[in-house]
Amino acid sequence: MAAEAVLSARQRWQARAVRRLRPFGFLFGPVGVLLALFVAPLVLLLIMSFRYDSLYITKTGFTLANFAGIFTNPAYRTVARDTLMMATTAMLLQLAIAFPLAYFIAFKARRWELPVLLLLVLVDELNPIVRIYAWRMLLGRDGLINSALQWVGLTSRPVLWLLFSKFSVILVLSMSWVNYTTLPMYAAMKAINPIVFETATDLGAGWFTRWRRILLPLAAPGIFVAILLVYVPMFTDFATPALVGGPSSYMLGNQVADLMLEIGDWGTGAALSLLMLAATAVISVAAYFLSRLNQLD
Amino acid sequence: MRKTQASAAGLAGPAGGSRPAPARARPPLKLRLRRAVSRFGGPVFAGVVIALLYGPIIVLAAFSFNNSIVFSLPWAGFTTKWYSVAFGDANLRAALINSIWVAAIVAPVSVVLGTLSAFPITRFHFKLRGAAAMLVAAPLVIPWLVIAVSGQLYFHFLGVDLSQVTVLLMQIVVTFPLVTVLVAARLARFDRTQEEAAVDLGASQLQVLRYVLLPHLMPALAAGFILAFSWSFNNFEISYFVSGFNQLFPVWVYSTLRHATNLPEVNAIATLVSGAEVALVYLAWLFFTWRSGARTAREKADALLEAVR
Repeated sequence: MAAEAVLSARQRWQARAVRRLRPFGFLFGPVGVLLALFVAPLVLLLIMSFRYDSLYITKTGFTLANFAGIFTNPAYRTVARDTLMMATTAMLLQLAIAFPLAYFIAFKARRWELPVLLLLVLVDELNPIVRIYAWRMLLGRDGLINSALQWVGLTSRPVLWLLFSKFSVILVLSMSWVNYTTLPMYAAMKAINPIVFETATDLGAGWFTRWRRILLPLAAPGIFVAILLVYVPMFTDFATPALVGGPSSYMLGNQVADLMLEIGDWGTGAALSLLMLAATAVISVAAYFLSRLNQLD
Repeated sequence: MRKTQASAAGLAGPAGGSRPAPARARPPLKLRLRRAVSRFGGPVFAGVVIALLYGPIIVLAAFSFNNSIVFSLPWAGFTTKWYSVAFGDANLRAALINSIWVAAIVAPVSVVLGTLSAFPITRFHFKLRGAAAMLVAAPLVIPWLVIAVSGQLYFHFLGVDLSQVTVLLMQIVVTFPLVTVLVAARLARFDRTQEEAAVDLGASQLQVLRYVLLPHLMPALAAGFILAFSWSFNNFEISYFVSGFNQLFPVWVYSTLRHATNLPEVNAIATLVSGAEVALVYLAWLFFTWRSGARTAREKADALLEAVR
């Protein structure tokens, strides 16, 4: 029948309108939620960081004083340097652990591949605060590690730098995130055909060449994802330093939490949050470009 | 090898030369060491990492049965009194109920919002697609601390008192993009000829959705639900900033530890909660590998990776 095949101009217009509007029908809910509860708060954060808002100052209006205060106060510089140092050390430690571990799971584990993978995924379901607490219990003055060290006779007194120090923060941060570091690297390595390695060996490549010219460049996207997933949350963490850190391991996250919840200097807190957001953006972009340097041609 | 070299150089022992060489010479120590490392190095290394990940939790669980307030050896005797202390703690009970209640709402809402956003991003072509995808992915990249601080400021600005509702809203924002990623990955691997075949066979739009698309998406939806539930239940940063006086479980643990009172109680409840979390995820995984018919290790690994990609 001709009536079926030929659509009137009006029907065609309707069909096109439906096609055009369909994505927005789907996106209406999610994007609405994000605009109302994610974008709007971030815009407010931006505005607040340029306004006076403190319990101690009655002035109102726009200002750069929050940022000026952060950049001129040497205490912030020390905290920022410590944060960068601890997060970077923890990240390098995790990469050093995760790279061989991912290689083992992807190529050597065989029937252990699945159990190890499952254990790495499962540990993430445990409560992060509980995991931090478990380490605090172990590392304490009377904790199991100190008892063991004294029992073996390595020390006669409890080792005090095990807890409430930079060491404990770096260790606990690494142990909280190393599973997240491993999984993307595993996924990247799993995509490599092992025949590539055999071919390289046949062509006379030693283990270092295979590692440097094949494994590293092909796993680079996984390393980038790992750094993106892990470095940013570590950089902004405050629960770990608050629970297992001491005065020497105060991080930017603690500073923000204290400004917002204890001191009540919301202007400075907003400005510092914004600066941390900018820093994480720089880290992410840097990680992205670093990962591209090593691609196979 | 050393032996043959030695006999070749005429430096063998008194019986050298006359004794028949062994069928297989023992390789030198260096080579044997290298072989041992390449054979056992990987498993031992992986074992150590797993022990470092789970060991502390196991020790924590063990000390929850120790009849002492300090966590050191020697063992002070078995007790379950810390569990009764934990169950008798009204604050803790309230925090646990709050957390479960919030997670039970965040998880289904996240699944719905995540699925809704995954469809247009993977399947439709429209001008703002890139922008929409970036917006939805942003809460996964932006640190939770910043989102939490902005949420605190925002609710204050709106004049809304912090409560379970505010924490619920902010948790939905950071959780549903995870479901979007899971569902989008699964959708991208869907063969659309199946849909066309269904339409050719006379299926309506709804029937295609119900009988073709949903069964394909089911693993991603289930993984999304479980992960969203545990993300919400375990979420500390957001909860700490925007839950107000209604404590959630992670915040309760945190503040109890800050004041360092009655820690064995924390061991007891942490043991129970960890056990429940592990059991839940493991059962769900068993169920879905069984449902999806994954038999070989490879298929199971894929099913697992589905949940983490």
